[in-house]
Amino acid sequence: MLEIAQSLLHGFSLALTPLYLYYALIGAILGTIVGVLPGLGPLGAMAILLSFTLKLDATGAMILFAGIYYGAMYGGSTTSILLNIPGEAASVVTCIDGYQMAQKGRAGAALTVSAVGSFIAGTISILGLMGVALFLADIALRFGPPEFFAIGVCGLALLVRLSEGSPLQAFIMILLGMALATVGVDFLTGIERFTFGIHELGQGIDFLPVAMGIFGIAEVLNTVEQREFIQSVRKVSLKELLPTRQEWRRSFPPMFRGSVLGFIIGLVPGPSPVIATFVSYISEKRLSSTPEEFGKGAIEGVAGPEAANNAAVGGAYVPLFALGIPFTPAMAIVLGTLMLHGLTPGPNLIKTKPDLFWAVIASMYIGNFMLLVLNLPLVNVFVSILKVPRNILLPIIVLICLIGVYTVNSSSLDLLMLAVFGYIGYALRGVGFPVAPLILAMVIGPMLETSLRQSLNITGGNLADMIFRPICLTMYSIVGVTFILPPVLRFFGRGHLPGRSGPGKNRLE
Amino acid sequence: MGIHVSKNQKITAFLLFGFSLFYFFSSLRLKLGTFKNPGPGLIPLGIGVLLLLCTGFYLARVLRAGPPGKKKQEQGPRGEKNYLAIFGILGCTLAYPFLLEYGKFIVSTFAVAYVMLVLLKPSRTLFSFFLALGMAVGSFLIFSLLLGVALPSGFLENLLFRIGG
Repeated sequence: MLEIAQSLLHGFSLALTPLYLYYALIGAILGTIVGVLPGLGPLGAMAILLSFTLKLDATGAMILFAGIYYGAMYGGSTTSILLNIPGEAASVVTCIDGYQMAQKGRAGAALTVSAVGSFIAGTISILGLMGVALFLADIALRFGPPEFFAIGVCGLALLVRLSEGSPLQAFIMILLGMALATVGVDFLTGIERFTFGIHELGQGIDFLPVAMGIFGIAEVLNTVEQREFIQSVRKVSLKELLPTRQEWRRSFPPMFRGSVLGFIIGLVPGPSPVIATFVSYISEKRLSSTPEEFGKGAIEGVAGPEAANNAAVGGAYVPLFALGIPFTPAMAIVLGTLMLHGLTPGPNLIKTKPDLFWAVIASMYIGNFMLLVLNLPLVNVFVSILKVPRNILLPIIVLICLIGVYTVNSSSLDLLMLAVFGYIGYALRGVGFPVAPLILAMVIGPMLETSLRQSLNITGGNLADMIFRPICLTMYSIVGVTFILPPVLRFFGRGHLPGRSGPGKNRLE
Repeated sequence: MGIHVSKNQKITAFLLFGFSLFYFFSSLRLKLGTFKNPGPGLIPLGIGVLLLLCTGFYLARVLRAGPPGKKKQEQGPRGEKNYLAIFGILGCTLAYPFLLEYGKFIVSTFAVAYVMLVLLKPSRTLFSFFLALGMAVGSFLIFSLLLGVALPSGFLENLLFRIGG
């Protein structure tokens, strides 16, 4: 315990250096801006800024991305409450009661409750992240290749169930991502695979142009076909921001419940911040003594989900730091960044790079505090960003993507990849395919292949030896239950699990 | 209730199946090894088989389905698509690497930015011209002078370097 406290203090001493404070501030501001802007989410922003983080050290890059991720959760709620426009998917639920509160003249209270809830959730989830990640990393040091393979398979299987679109579409995307990951020189034999004589492909398909294409360019193309909302922006005065004593009393329990719930859901693969908000909203409505107020401006409907989405962010960092396996698309980008900085994420990371881990943890505290202090007084400034015309914003994003990709390797092939994957991302999303599993599989594909081949070597090709180990068996059982339980439940007519009603599914059925 | 799919879904299903076939047959050319000692082609072959099965099943499902409902055909939920802007932006990203080779940074960035601005707001061509120029020069100053990135340089870039010191 004393060791943890000392490490955390050391983390604070690093995170409080002017340079890292600057990165945290930039991340928080950028995150809030992308959270406010509909269409461009934290994932797109992280993908667009990926190339620029190569100019920073790994710790600086992690601090910047943590700020963006948290900031987007804060920013998304602002437009949900004031304009009924969710800045990103995790803020959709906040629109329901947040906007109704604004209509009743309680916008300021909703914004404050949302910001304070996010801060409390951020703090709780960081504490959880510290405890769980350290504990899990210690256990994971005893894991062998079969365990890592089983965890990777379990993560991807859960992602298939929880992604938008049908499970078949999500599975195809995962296989596509794994197929892309096999391009390049085989790490064990040195034999070129799928390079077709193109020398530059020997190093494999770069993660950077694929991520920036699929989340940056595709997002721009997607936004072009959407109608532009020109809203008159409602001003909120500082006086309005203070909730009443009764509003505070009604908000704190949902904030704490949402924080715990969000952190736990954050550990599950898939779009955890989005799922966390829905689960929190439903549970708050069930627990409420006045459920009829939900949908008409119940403050619990803002406090719970807003805390849940922020806590899920902290939860999502656990598998990344403890196991080196990203369970969400945003964490795949973070993992890609670590790899671009020459770091090998995994259970050893906390031990070998304690400065990075503790500085990021400390910067999360600082970033959350910055967001709380910045967001409320500057709410009108952030909302006015919506006034920037889209026809100016979109070309700027495309240029950032183009120049960003070019600056890394000065490679024309990378630029072509950016364009090709931009179109692929746009086309696939247009027909209901979830693109996030593709990126996730592409990032963890090499790890899965390595661990599978090592496992087969160790066990002499005996699959039973790979499966019948305590952790592996648990993981494969989870996979089995995830896929068998929903059809069984449907067969007996008891309902269905979430994740079956995405847009792709709607298009097909 | 029958399944309804659009033409785009059918095209996507065919392309995915085509890619799967290509990947599967390409993986067969790699050394497979044994289960005990897997070669570089074993995992790609496994991925290829699964891809082929899944995309084949998806294709069959899409081909069996009927055309989209009347309501869906008439108007999408997002309204009229600006295909010119979509394909224009895509064309710009595809053309940029080639432009960069011949036109160097400022000219190619200006050209791409100008085309995108005009496609998104055709009524303001003069404004777009100056905005694109500002974007090209501004990005050169930020990336080259401030961040020290080596960008393709010609006469204009060298001139800016001299002015910027």
